[in-house]
Amino acid sequence: MISRIHRPSPVGLALLLFGLAATAASFQIAPDPDGGWGARIFPLVGSLAVVMCGAVECFARPTQARTPEHQATLRVIALLIVSIAYIWLIGRFGYLLSTAVAAPLALWLFGIRKRIGLAAAAILCPAIYHLLFFEALGVFPPLGDWFDLLDVFAG
Amino acid sequence: MEIFAGLASVLTDPVLLLWVFAAAIVGMIVGAIPGLTASAAIAMLLPVTLYMDPLAALAFLYVIGKSGRYGGSIAAILFNTPGTAASAATQIDGYPLARKGQASKAMKVATLSSVIGDFIGEILLIAGVGVIAAIALKLGPPELFAIYVAAFIVIGSVIGKSITRGLASAALGILIAMVGLDPISSEGRFTFGSFDLTNGINLVPLMIGIFVLGEVFTQLGQTVRQIEVTGEGADKKSQNALSWREYKPCLPHVIRSSFIGAFIGMLPGLGSAIAAFVAYGEGKRRARNPELWGKGALEGIAAPEAANNAVSGPSMAPLLTLGIPGSTIGAILVGVFLIHGIQIGPTLFITSRDLVYALFACGLIGIALYGVIGYYGAAFVGRFITRIPVKVLYPIIFLTSFVAAYASRGSLFDVTVMVAAGFGGWVMRRLDFNPAAFVISFVLAGGAEETFRQSLLLSDDGLLIFVTRPVALGFLLLGLGALVLRIRTVRRQARLAKTQTA
Repeated sequence: MISRIHRPSPVGLALLLFGLAATAASFQIAPDPDGGWGARIFPLVGSLAVVMCGAVECFARPTQARTPEHQATLRVIALLIVSIAYIWLIGRFGYLLSTAVAAPLALWLFGIRKRIGLAAAAILCPAIYHLLFFEALGVFPPLGDWFDLLDVFAG
Repeated sequence: MEIFAGLASVLTDPVLLLWVFAAAIVGMIVGAIPGLTASAAIAMLLPVTLYMDPLAALAFLYVIGKSGRYGGSIAAILFNTPGTAASAATQIDGYPLARKGQASKAMKVATLSSVIGDFIGEILLIAGVGVIAAIALKLGPPELFAIYVAAFIVIGSVIGKSITRGLASAALGILIAMVGLDPISSEGRFTFGSFDLTNGINLVPLMIGIFVLGEVFTQLGQTVRQIEVTGEGADKKSQNALSWREYKPCLPHVIRSSFIGAFIGMLPGLGSAIAAFVAYGEGKRRARNPELWGKGALEGIAAPEAANNAVSGPSMAPLLTLGIPGSTIGAILVGVFLIHGIQIGPTLFITSRDLVYALFACGLIGIALYGVIGYYGAAFVGRFITRIPVKVLYPIIFLTSFVAAYASRGSLFDVTVMVAAGFGGWVMRRLDFNPAAFVISFVLAGGAEETFRQSLLLSDDGLLIFVTRPVALGFLLLGLGALVLRIRTVRRQARLAKTQTA
């Protein structure tokens, strides 16, 4: 009997917890004043569906999990950190400078080690994307709160 | 008859033709690059189309989808790596032919079969879509809600390895779609006091994140290897001419597979990969030479390729008539329609009839264009792709996804959403969740909620309205039936695997 009991899967537990949190958040949505079906019903049903899937997943037979390659996961986390830092930099220093930093970092993570290539990317990538999206397509560029190279170019 | 007017208007518009031509090439290249899909290309190029005429924008993305489906066969035959999930079936016979030095012949068969399959699918769409729209116009909110429920269940449970994780993906898509202000009462939902969240989650950055940045994360997590042509050295011109005598036995397989693909295409969520494998299995079962299948049979390339491309046209039927996207490409096209202020659903055939038929005409022209380019230039496209340095390609896609996500609304919050969705997409793929079900459910959730609440306003008996209306009940039972069938299939497969290991 004991051999039939297995630990709930982490994915199932995560789903269950997420679903329960979403259910609690759904109850924060005000119901209709007349007590009818209102803005709350769909979020609540969606949350309960996640709870149910989590519960089933918890008690399902464990599937053969793919063993994550440690190095690969680290590389992905590193790219995620670069992504978050890139957004923060765009907000502070504008598109040009932040892309000049992010482009060589992304290339480096994908295995490009030539310094000339990385330096060329730092100059070419911001220039090409700026010309294509902000000049040719006319999208208003994200300006930096602290400093923006576009201010320097515009004088 | 509207299709002839559509063809005339498209053929006399050189700019539109240029977009269709560009889409045929872009789709073929993207489809042929292992790891990149037509969905990723469409998601990334979507913000660019904001600045285009609605028809040009839709035609450009629609033809990329068609051509991208075909492009996958180039990678399957030349690189022994399927460019798309559907082309894995083409690889079974395509790669052995490439090893025999007959890669060009294999690609010619793939091209002809894809073109015939795509034409059949598109013609069926053109012929049948008006009828479906007329029927759809008669459906009320309870019936539409039941169709949405059936779509959620089918999309969540049928695709992917795990039923619960697939359904959880669909439920998560619904939850994320609920973020923002309630469209009726303006009550904040899941906003947690954030002003940015009151506008809800935008579809464009979400899709760029899931399909583009998620793929970049996936590629970084794998060992990135340069794409190489296999068996090309022995490719001899004398062995690669395709005669009518050689292609004639393929035709019955192509016709049958096209109808299989067209039928599967109409069902939400199933898609090209299932169509290709069903057609391959059916083709082998009926073949005169089944022992040659898997060893380089031309029919083994023709059957899955025809089915794979025949999916494209009919998959637009539920999207255009009911507003229900049957595929990820359909989900992205919903975004394009909405961005250009075009309301999809049965009324589309009243409000924008000319646009719809002009789009179909662009599809037909796109098929012819990728057919000609592919027949004479697939080997060249293959060689071009081997020259693309993969280590440079993905960082460029990474940077493009940021500027594309920003360009959709000029908002840095959208870029944050894109990054979160990208990482979420990577996690989902790793854990066998279903990103396609997540995105399609995200798109469907708004319509489902609207029809649900409208139904309850119509009803005197509350939820009973869904079981007292026969059509609505039929669709609900259809969804539940699909789920039960899927559970039984999965259990049977598990038992079979257990017996085999024992």
